[in-house]
This record gives sequence, C-alpha cells and structure tokens, in this order.
Amino acid sequence: MTAAPVFAVVGHPNKGKSSVVATLSQNDAIAIALEPGTTRQRQAYPLSVDGHTLYTLVDTPGFQRPRRVLEWLQAHSVSASDHAQTVQAFVTQHQGDGRFTDECELLAPLIDGAGIIYVVDGSVPYSAEHEAEMTILRWTGRPSLALINSIGSDDYSDTWQAALGQFFQVVRKFDAVRAPFEQHLGLLRAFGQLEPDWEAPLEQATDFLSDQRLKRRNQSAAIIARALEDLMAYQEKRTLTQNQSAGTSDDTLAEQLRQRWYRHQRQREQSLRIDIEHLYQHQRIQRQEAELEWHNEHDLFSEDSRRAWSVSKRYLATAGFGAGAVGGAGLDALTLGHSLGAGALVGGLIGAAGSYFYGDRLMLPAVHIGALQDGLQTATFGPVQDSQFGYVVLGRAVDHWWHISQRNHAGRELLDLEPADHHWLEQLDRGSRQAIQQVFDKRRKRRPLDDRQRQKFITAIEQSMAAYDHWRLNRT
Amino acid sequence: MTDSPLRLLLDFDARSQRDQDQPPAFLHRRDRKFALTCAEQGQAPNARRWLEHMAHLSGPGSKAGAGQKTLRRWRRINTGFAFGGAVFGCLTMLGLLFYEGGQRINITVILAFVALQLLLALFTTAQSLVGWQPWRWLLRRLASERNSETTSRLQPMLMARAAHLGGISFAATGVLTLLLMVVVQDLAFGWSTTLDTGASGYHQLLTALAAPWAALWPELWPAAVPDLALVEATRFFRAGAGAGADTIAPDRWGHWWPFVTMLWISWVLVPRLLLFLASILLLRHKARQLLTNHPGMHALLYRMETPTLDTGNHHNDAADLPDTDTLISLQPLPDSNLLLCWAGAGDPALPQTLVGEHTQLFRAGGRASLAEDQTALADIANQLAASPEPAVVVITRSWEPPTGELEDFLASARELWPTGARVALVPLSLDSEREPEPHQLSQWLRFADRLDPGFASVSAPRLHWRDPHADLLPEPGFEPGTESRKLP
Repeated sequence: MTAAPVFAVVGHPNKGKSSVVATLSQNDAIAIALEPGTTRQRQAYPLSVDGHTLYTLVDTPGFQRPRRVLEWLQAHSVSASDHAQTVQAFVTQHQGDGRFTDECELLAPLIDGAGIIYVVDGSVPYSAEHEAEMTILRWTGRPSLALINSIGSDDYSDTWQAALGQFFQVVRKFDAVRAPFEQHLGLLRAFGQLEPDWEAPLEQATDFLSDQRLKRRNQSAAIIARALEDLMAYQEKRTLTQNQSAGTSDDTLAEQLRQRWYRHQRQREQSLRIDIEHLYQHQRIQRQEAELEWHNEHDLFSEDSRRAWSVSKRYLATAGFGAGAVGGAGLDALTLGHSLGAGALVGGLIGAAGSYFYGDRLMLPAVHIGALQDGLQTATFGPVQDSQFGYVVLGRAVDHWWHISQRNHAGRELLDLEPADHHWLEQLDRGSRQAIQQVFDKRRKRRPLDDRQRQKFITAIEQSMAAYDHWRLNRT
Repeated sequence: MTDSPLRLLLDFDARSQRDQDQPPAFLHRRDRKFALTCAEQGQAPNARRWLEHMAHLSGPGSKAGAGQKTLRRWRRINTGFAFGGAVFGCLTMLGLLFYEGGQRINITVILAFVALQLLLALFTTAQSLVGWQPWRWLLRRLASERNSETTSRLQPMLMARAAHLGGISFAATGVLTLLLMVVVQDLAFGWSTTLDTGASGYHQLLTALAAPWAALWPELWPAAVPDLALVEATRFFRAGAGAGADTIAPDRWGHWWPFVTMLWISWVLVPRLLLFLASILLLRHKARQLLTNHPGMHALLYRMETPTLDTGNHHNDAADLPDTDTLISLQPLPDSNLLLCWAGAGDPALPQTLVGEHTQLFRAGGRASLAEDQTALADIANQLAASPEPAVVVITRSWEPPTGELEDFLASARELWPTGARVALVPLSLDSEREPEPHQLSQWLRFADRLDPGFASVSAPRLHWRDPHADLLPEPGFEPGTESRKLP
C-alpha cells in the first residue's frame, strides 16, 4: 500500500501559508499574524479517517535566504540530474545552522517526498524576488502546485498566474479566509491531480468531508431544536416561606423572577451558539455582539431583534392553521369521523385566527403567585406566551449557524452578527411552518414532545436553514 | 422470568440521556472505535455489547445508572402490590366465607365476585395496551425525579405487570384461606337468587363455569363439578331458610367447597397468571421495540457505521503569537544622496521627492546575485568614506516582509562601511504616493530594532507635494454662488 500523500505548504514569509493550512485542516488554533516569522517550525496536520491518514498538510516557515541557498546548490551541482540530491545535501549540511533553520524546516518534508504547495499573495504585485525560491523548489523535483491567496483587496493574480505557470504544474486561486467550502474540496481534488497515486486518497477525503458537512448541518438543526424546546418552555420558579412572602412585595418578586428568567434565556442562547461553533470546530470565536443586555440593540429581548427576526401576521396565520388543525383532528377522531373533518377545519381556523390576532403582540410571561400551602408559596414566571419569541430565537440561531458554517478557520476577525433585513422565513414551505408552530404551541404549555414530533421539528428547522441559505445566496 | 430487554432499554436510555451533554465529535470517535474493535473480533456491534463495553471501561463500582434506579423503584412497587394483594386476598376470602352458622354462604355472591375479579384483570391489561394511566399522579408523587420519555411510555406496561402480580398474590392467598377455612370450620354453602330461575338453569351456568377443569381433568376431582342433584338440594330462600335446610342431609351443604376452590383457581388465579405472563411478554416486546426506535439508537448506529474524520486540528499555538509591540519609532529621513533599492523596490519609478540632482542609485537583493550585492556594498562604502555624516537610504517594499537576506546584507554593510554610517530604511507602499499601512511599517520598525542599535532606523517621508491651501479650495463640482463656504 502506498503511503498517504504529504503536502508541504511553502513560500515567502507572511503570504498566508498558515491561513491555507488553518482553513483546510479546520483548525482555528493555528497562530496567524501579519508578522513574518509567526511560524517557526514545521507542523504536520494529518487528515485521517478512523485513524488511517488520507493526506497530511505540513505548515512551514517562509524562505529567509533563498539566494544564498540557491548559490550553494548551484555551486554543488554538476547537472540537472543531481538537483534533488544536492537539495538533500544542503539540508543535511545545514541542520542546526541558525541562519538556515527556516530553509531546513521548509525543505525537509520535500526531501521526504512531500508535494509542494507554494503560496503567494495575489493582492500585491508579482516580484522577481520570489524566483530564487521557485527555482529551489523546482530543484527538489517534487510535484508542485501554486496557490494565489489574496490577503489584501487589490488583485494582481493575472501577473502572478503567468509567472507561476512557468514553475508549477498547477496554479490555482484560493482565498484562505473567504473561499467557500466547495472551493476547499476543489482544491483538495487539485492536490490529487499532482500524482496519479494521490488521486484516490484525496477523492476519498473530499467525499468524507462533504458527508461531514451534511451531517453537521443536521446536527446543528438538532442542537437548535433542543435549545428552542428549552427556551420556549422555561419557567422560573421560586418557593417562599410565609415570612419571606410577607416581606417581599409582589412587584419586587415579579421583577426578581423576570430578571432571572431573562438571564437564563440569554445564557441558554449563548450555550446554543457555543455548541454550534464547537460542532464546526471553531473554538476561539470572539463576538462583536456585545454582552447581552436588555438595552443592547442586539439583545435577545430587544425591540430591534424582534423587528428583525419576528414573522409576519400572514405567516403566523398559515403556520397557526396547521397547528390548530391538529387539535381539531383529534375531535374528528373522537367522533369516529362523523364530523367529516369539520373539527380539523374549525380547529385550523381558530388556530389561524389566534395566531393572526395575538401572534405579533409582545406577550411576555406573567408572574403567577400560587396560594399559600403548608406555609410555602410558589411564584413562577414563564414560560413565554408569545410564539414570536420562538421565531426570534430561531432567526438568530439560524443566522448564527449560517455565519459559522460559512466561516473559514483562517478567519480571525470578529464575528459580526447583524440582524437580517428581510423575513426570510416566508420562503419556508407550509409543512415546516406548521411543524415549527405546533412545537412552539406545545412547549408554551410545557407539554413534552414525542420522538416523531421532535424529528419533524428538526427536519423543519433544517428546512429553515436551507431557506436562509437560499435567501442569503440570492440576496445580492 | 428475566427482564433483560427492559433493563437493556432502561440502561441504554439512561446512557443516551447522559451522552446528550457530550460533544458530538467525541461520541462519534468513541462509538466508531467500539464498532471497529467489534469488527476486529468478528462480532456484530449491538446495544448490549456497547453497554457492556461502556460499563467495563467505567470499571467496577461505577455509579448505578438511572436504568437500575427505575428498575429498583418498580421492584419496590411490585413488592408493595404483592404484599397488598396477599393481605387483601386473605381478608376478602374471610369476608366471603363469613358464616355464623345460621345463614348459608351464597355461591351466587362468590360467582359475582369471581366475575368482578376477572373483569378487573382484563381491564388492567386493556388499559396497559391502550396506554391509559389513571394512576399516573401516584407514580409522579413516588418518583424522585422526572421520568424520561422512554420510561413514561413503558409505565402502563410496568403498572399492569405490578397489578397482575398483586392479583396473583390476592388469588393465591384467597385460595389458601379458603382451604384453611374448609379445614377449621364447618362451612355451609348454598345458592340463592332473587331472579326467577330454576335449578337446571343454575346448574347449566355452573357446568359452563366448570368446563375448564371438567374437560381437562374429569377424573381428577369429580366432586369439583356439582351435579344437578346438589344444585337442586342446596337452593335456599330468604323466607324458608329453615324449611329447606331440614329436608336434606347437613353434609350436602359442604359439598360445594371443591367447586368453589376450582372456581377460584380457574377463574381468578389462572387468568391472573396468564395475564401476568402476557404482560411480561408485552413488556419485553415493547422494550425491544422502544430500543429499536430509540432516537439514541439511531444516532448510535450512525456513529458506529460512519467513519470518524479527523481534520488534524489538534495543534494549538494560537496563543504563541509574536510580540508586535514596537519599541522604536519613525525617524526623520537623513540627508543623503546614496539610495539603495532593495529587491526591486522603487520599480518602475521612484517617487520624485526621494530623487535629487546628486542622488546615486544602487540596486541589491531580489534578482541581483550575491556578487552584485557585494559590489553595491563596496561602491557605497567608497562613497561614504568621503562623507562627513555617512548615511544611506535603503528603499524597500513595505508589503514584502524583511527577510534574512536583507539582514545579512546590512550585517555585511555594518562591517564594510565606515564607523558611524547610518542606514535609513524607507518602506514604500504599493501606491508610492501614499504612506504604508501601520502594520507594514511596524514590521520594519521591529526589524530595525533587531539590528545593531544606532545603525538602522525607519523613515516614512511624505512622498508627494501637498498644497497647504488645499482645504480652502472648493470641492470638485462646487459652483460659485450656490453655497457659502466656511473658512476654518
């Protein structure tokens, strides 16, 4: 069996080699900085399936003294046939020499048989300074591919393409920070084209990565569904003794419960976000959205969020029709069908009307203070009586998921979650709308869901994610 | 009978509840590894093996799972029902056989009671099949924590099993009490009814009821099937109780006890036993069904079947970023006519402000060979020798990071050039008219800092001429007279 291919990501310092590796290995913990010499040692990132490595990416430091290396090589070579051996001799002779640490780290994997991925910055003009580096790489005789990564906003990729074409088998453009996932796969397939033996493992790797992405979408839907179930049914409860209840006014108690309820809901939303980020292997995301506060415009309970993520009356009516019809269908079942489906119709109409008239009012939960029993009094706040709250949470969750799923691991900028400016849920099919509304209604009454309902709910959320994705793609 | 499928389901349910808080990637790796180990050993991975594997890894003494807790609770409920049934069975039979000597024990009452028992037993089973739980509140009160969905769905079956166990216990102690009473007391049975029925009709009913044991063991206990003569002889009426009693031999009243015993055994005890067995079988079936359809099971099978993908993202050096604080600052451009363009900087044209009438240009780095670098160094050294304040301006590209080559070049310059010679690094931006970006400048500042102190500095001179009155001029497109413009 042939060994798994290894690709050394090499180039001039500060051209985004680590960014390319971070994106392809889905690692947001690789040090990336606009500072030459951030990578000091080579580091291998193997992609493995069940412990069996399919390919390995090696991040390396950049060339520091390419002309000196080339001069040494030229001085020690007799003909083109000894080029690779001469490079090997260079590394052997200069191991431990402080001046050539970076070059030795960079060339060592190539000597061991790695393929070359040469990274340049396409946003700055082509510079002949790189020719010494490219010549050295050609001397290694390894299969090679050049990547034009754009760090800045300018585009000089055409001149780069022409120059790189003279030195490398394949030249590709790849923006490590912004490239969509399909481009990652395309790039991996291009690696496979460098050598016939590498095609199969790379093809296999791309298949696995595609599957993983699909599965992550489904898992995200399940995580969001669980959070929505929790958030819709959450109730803050406090039991007071007779003395305590005598010493606390109803207003104070209500305020305390309300604040605790808000805090819990915000924390639950936060933990949902962290779960989604971890699912996509983003461990270190910083958010621009400030620490959640009532007055913050992006707060879960702010009017701003409500405006951005709530659904229209018309939407609520169509979703409410299905949700009400289920209750009515129960009536039909009881009459053994003698009501000829009138139950479902009436139930549907009641559900639709209820949602239409009451759905867009901010009905926050009320405080309920129970009667004194055995010297104890129980006060409760929640669950939320407003299904719009569910849509706000759903909208924010799907928006966050979308940003995370589209985010490359080389991206180190803050995660900026701006509210959408359109009711994207309008694009959702009716079945999914009804499934979501039914769950919201059920959880508002703190009724548990069975497995089938939960599965339906997860599917509906997945559909919402697809609708959002579609809306985002066609927005501009 | 063992309740292993039930236990398997409850343990599995408890385990998957706990797994909900684990990261999906970890769960996938764990379960896929288990499946691969099974494949190596030639075994098919299943829920039982998986649970055993998990328990084995947790080692002895691992905390009893929620599954075991549920089972223990139901064992207690079962014991309670069995005990209660035993006490009630004893008391009920004593009540039914209450006989003070003056009155007969009415077989009709016993028949009605047996029918009620049978009805209750059937109702218990039907209730469990339908899933109706009128006693749910009781269990909720007994339970210390909230049941999982799986446990809730099993509850009707478990409750039916407990009820049937209580019923068995009730029937068994009932029959034992009956036999004991037969031994220690002289019981007189008879039959009586307000309804206008004849002895033959009553006999027919009794024959029908006795059919099971009459058909199965006719020779075993013939006395357990009452004949017409006995039925005719032992009828009593409310008014003439004494008259009827006198006409037959007193021992005839006692001949009913084998029938009553068999009636109780066949129509109370045996149905309860059968329904108890049925409830166990149903429970096992339901448990198997729930296990197969358990959402956790679907997820587990998926995890076991799908290979784990490791993207090699374990390395973490995100905190190991270089120190980007700059200790030194930009310096004014020294007065020098020696300009060195490093690695193609200044191509195609240098900004006019840098080039004067007497400027001498040198090129090094980039495409130039190392020998050409040496020549440039020597030429500059010659020029500097005559200068009272030797200084060289080195033009670089701000966007290309300073490399070891420039460092080597400047190190050679330091040795070759006269003492006191200074180097001013001038990084040019892409648009040579504009100043470089701060982050680009700072990498050059840090580079100068790393070189010998006092030798190199970084300058960012203003490279284009700017009209000092520009702010006062009207903006492009401004039409005079349309708007008054404020002067600062």
